[in-house]
Amino acid sequence: MNAAPLARRPLGCLKASLRQARQHRMFARCMATDADADADADADADPGLPTQQLPPPEHDFFRITDRKTKTLRTAFAVYPPTTIAGTPSIAAAPKNVLGSLHALQIAKMDPTGARTALFAKTRDAAKPGDVLMVTHRRGGEPFAGVVLSIRRRGIDTAVLLRNHLGKVGVEMWFKVYNKNVAGVEIVKRRAKRARRARLTYLRKPKHDMGSVEDLVHAWKKSRKVFSSGKGGAGAAGAKGKGGKAAVAGRKK
Amino acid sequence: MIQLKTMLNCIDNSGAAIVECCMVVGQKRHASIGDRIVVVVQKQRGALAEGMAASSSANKVKRGDIRHAIVVRTRQKVQRRDGSVIKFDDNACVLINKAGDPIGSRINGVVGSELRKKRWSRILSMAPMQA
Repeated sequence: MNAAPLARRPLGCLKASLRQARQHRMFARCMATDADADADADADADPGLPTQQLPPPEHDFFRITDRKTKTLRTAFAVYPPTTIAGTPSIAAAPKNVLGSLHALQIAKMDPTGARTALFAKTRDAAKPGDVLMVTHRRGGEPFAGVVLSIRRRGIDTAVLLRNHLGKVGVEMWFKVYNKNVAGVEIVKRRAKRARRARLTYLRKPKHDMGSVEDLVHAWKKSRKVFSSGKGGAGAAGAKGKGGKAAVAGRKK
Repeated sequence: MIQLKTMLNCIDNSGAAIVECCMVVGQKRHASIGDRIVVVVQKQRGALAEGMAASSSANKVKRGDIRHAIVVRTRQKVQRRDGSVIKFDDNACVLINKAGDPIGSRINGVVGSELRKKRWSRILSMAPMQA
């Protein structure tokens, strides 16, 4: 480095030397970060690093030191597999993870348990061949129909209803735990238990039940008779029929 | 799944009884409820005795006419936003003109409520029920 450029550009030399110094410092820091994973105790021996008097935490930190305040700034922490969010978990993860998730969701969507009970595998539950009426929260006509099949899949449990609306067969799947399904009522039970789980033969013209409108009409009429004067509102009147038509999964 | 050659019932009083799909309007493979198609009238309503004068006076469309139509029922299942699914036992449509107004003045039979989402409120208001 001769004197002439130094005289003309005195800062040029300073810049180069500063760059070198910075590079050196960065290199030193990198080495320190690499090494301090195993040697946390001699961190205070290194003058480049801030001193940490606290005991080492449970988890491994990938450390970043703040350049201005010279304090430890952690980017992220790596926890051992038995801890959740910094606290050691007491219980191990459940065996049946999906099952417990479904149970959690069902408890949330059906706090009273009425919907679960209506489509459980019990004697009182709805079965294929029964006539159900599903009421929607979003207004519209309630859809009634004979149950062709019940699809039991945890929170995705659904029921397939078939009816005739103006000479045209209509089939609808309803999700049982859907909030839009305001109520499910049993209009008529099948006289004898169906010996099939899925009554797909009811689609054939020979076995087709046709419209269930008259059944629904009769049921509504009977509900009005049994309820006390005020007109059948809700399941109170339905219960009067000796438990034949019951369970409305209504909320609010 | 309405596509080329699908035969549909026409459920309005335009005079067509059975129509055949000859094109699906728009960039799609199959038409579903609420989609627009082009149809050929295959069978006229009340064309039993081949009394041409009597039938054609009431009917607005003739056999062989090419018209636009809106699908209102499909055999194929249609899933809704809330997870419920609807399926009809037949394929049916309602004839419209180029502007999108229904040719008939009445609809007999149920229509799918997907029409509301696709902005066919004229057809929905004419229908006796929707499912």
